Amino acid sequence: MTSIHLDNIVKKFGDFTAIQTMNLEVRDGEFLALLGPSGCGKSTTMNIIAGMETPTHGTVKFGERDITHVPMQKRGVGFVFQNYAIFTHMSVYENLAYGLRMNGTPKAELDRKVQEIAEFLELTAILHRPSAGLSVNILQRLAIGRSAILEPSIFLLDEPLSNVDAAFRAVMRQELKQLQRNFKQTMVYVTHDQLEAMTMADRIAVMDHGVLQQVGTPIDVYNNPRNLFVAQFLGSPGMNLLPGALADRGGDMFVDLELGGSIALKGSDAQAGRAAKSRDVVCGFRPEAVQFDDAGVSLSVTFVERIGARTIVHMGKGAASVKAVFDNKVAVNVGDQTRIAPQDNAIRLFAAQSGESLQVA
Amino acid sequence: MASISFRNVTKRFGDTMALNDVSFDIEDNEFFCFFGPPLSGKSTILRIILGLDTPDSGEVLIDGKPVTHIGPAERNIAMVFQNLALFPHMTARENVIFPLVERKTAPAEIEAKLGDVAEKLHMSHILHKHPAQLSGGERQRVAIARALVRDPVAYLMDDPISALDARLREETRIELKRIQREVGHTLIYVTHDQEEAMSIADRMAILRDGQVQQIGTPIEIYDAPANTYVASMLGAPAINLFDVDAMSGVTKNGALDLNGVDLDGVERVGLRPEDGRLIGVDSGLRSTVSMVEPLGGATIVTLDPPEGGTPIRLMLRGQPTIEVGAGIAIEYTPSALMRFDANNERMGDTK
Repeated sequence: MTSIHLDNIVKKFGDFTAIQTMNLEVRDGEFLALLGPSGCGKSTTMNIIAGMETPTHGTVKFGERDITHVPMQKRGVGFVFQNYAIFTHMSVYENLAYGLRMNGTPKAELDRKVQEIAEFLELTAILHRPSAGLSVNILQRLAIGRSAILEPSIFLLDEPLSNVDAAFRAVMRQELKQLQRNFKQTMVYVTHDQLEAMTMADRIAVMDHGVLQQVGTPIDVYNNPRNLFVAQFLGSPGMNLLPGALADRGGDMFVDLELGGSIALKGSDAQAGRAAKSRDVVCGFRPEAVQFDDAGVSLSVTFVERIGARTIVHMGKGAASVKAVFDNKVAVNVGDQTRIAPQDNAIRLFAAQSGESLQVA
Repeated sequence: MASISFRNVTKRFGDTMALNDVSFDIEDNEFFCFFGPPLSGKSTILRIILGLDTPDSGEVLIDGKPVTHIGPAERNIAMVFQNLALFPHMTARENVIFPLVERKTAPAEIEAKLGDVAEKLHMSHILHKHPAQLSGGERQRVAIARALVRDPVAYLMDDPISALDARLREETRIELKRIQREVGHTLIYVTHDQEEAMSIADRMAILRDGQVQQIGTPIEIYDAPANTYVASMLGAPAINLFDVDAMSGVTKNGALDLNGVDLDGVERVGLRPEDGRLIGVDSGLRSTVSMVEPLGGATIVTLDPPEGGTPIRLMLRGQPTIEVGAGIAIEYTPSALMRFDANNERMGDTK
């Protein structure tokens, strides 16, 4: 069991800066998700931890030990890729046993460990089948097992579920979380899928354009995004972000929205509004925090998606659009005129210029 | 524009029954979705509609006229391919008119049709651009324009947005629906994503092993599934299904109290994740929380039932505080409980 420390890591490829001065600690036994869109630097970060890339500047430490220049094979990390690298000429058993055989594990112990991990990953029934011809789902499960069997203190996974189908992904999410709970490895999980990050991780590190944007528990990052990027990246659908201008009317604070109408700011929101350096702000609120309100912003319903338990209502005025999530009983139809407002405590203000949150910590 | 119908269509490939007595009516201007797992018959249906395959028995009708033995060219149905398949070296304009140029259509007619389609799809301003310069939604428009420029009676899409990432899929499916509303035409759409199907389809058909299980609007099917298979296909997390012990009035896994539910002939009951609630009161039927997954707007709670077996998943609104390991009873609104008989068919409406 080991913590991981990235201290002032910079990574350049020629003129391109893949990672800009990054500081991140992954705690001992923690499940951390590195989340961001493609090209954000999350895989490069992972590769630096694994030892497949050397940082241009900065140090990587496992616990107290500086391993910046320690080669990959001596770092003792387990690694699972998006494209499972399974030896197709070997049986499931032989694939699982491969790493243990390589490091000379006695036969009885090897067999016990293979049986154990096979049981955990529900591979027992197919242990002696050839790997060739197994489904993508099973191959990815096997790839995870082959790495996990070595009980690495650090386990790195790079988009391991992006090739498996949706139903199986849900099952694997649970199994991976369970695996990590059982073996208590320090786990770093790279994904562009916010649902995976939210549901599995102890903490999420959100990246964009090589910059670490925010680190926190899933709920904290979801509830208190530090900037506009994080606000729109998390959530399905993402946060409503409406440009507007702060206005002080007789001591009461409002955001006058570009699309028309105002939203009243109360309590700490009003305080944040008063403290803002510029009047130009973006008013954010989650689709599930929208309520009908006769005094609210007037919008027409442009689209209604009834998706099982949820109804996503799209409302708009000109180019501006607002999304709301209700349960499946809501009576709303395309063309309806509605008045909506965010629920109390649901407003998140951002500076229009910098995109940074104005929330009082 | 046209209606499309199958009457008792059966198709075998060797020993495999690809379609088994399939009938449906797709109405003019309808956005109709075929939904099912791989090999359930979706692609075979598309190929038969296009005229690329001929049914072994049964009839295909377009606008009420039999076309079973009419070739693809005369059917005039357009296909929008997976991943859109635009030519990267051609401008949007060249991509759109490609099918007309191929058919040696007169230049004046090409211009007229291009103008017409471009206006309908609001894309006149992007015609000079190459695919690489276009957004995902714009590419979608180009691909659809290329299908519509031939003035087909209907157009088909086979899982067109499955390769996009989640956020882009959410946006693109709205865009697709909007386009279909604007330009009209019958759109037949195949997907394996239940959320996508429910979001965009006017009506949908759920397939299993080459058979139609149910046809209806997404909400009709979600609220009143014909059987346990259909019930399980829509909704994420999937519906919880419980074996019933009619004698004791509880589910066999000991998780649900069925007191007051008419259990005559009931083999199983189903509870959608959003229809269950957790209560702390000691009813004796305590399930153990094994996992809590916060999604932000909702929280998925997984519970191990008292007598073991398949874990139960509930979706609670908001961000409730629930501890892993807690023992909690499950409460539900009786009208939300679905009842299934020994053949897995849903019994009388309880909603």
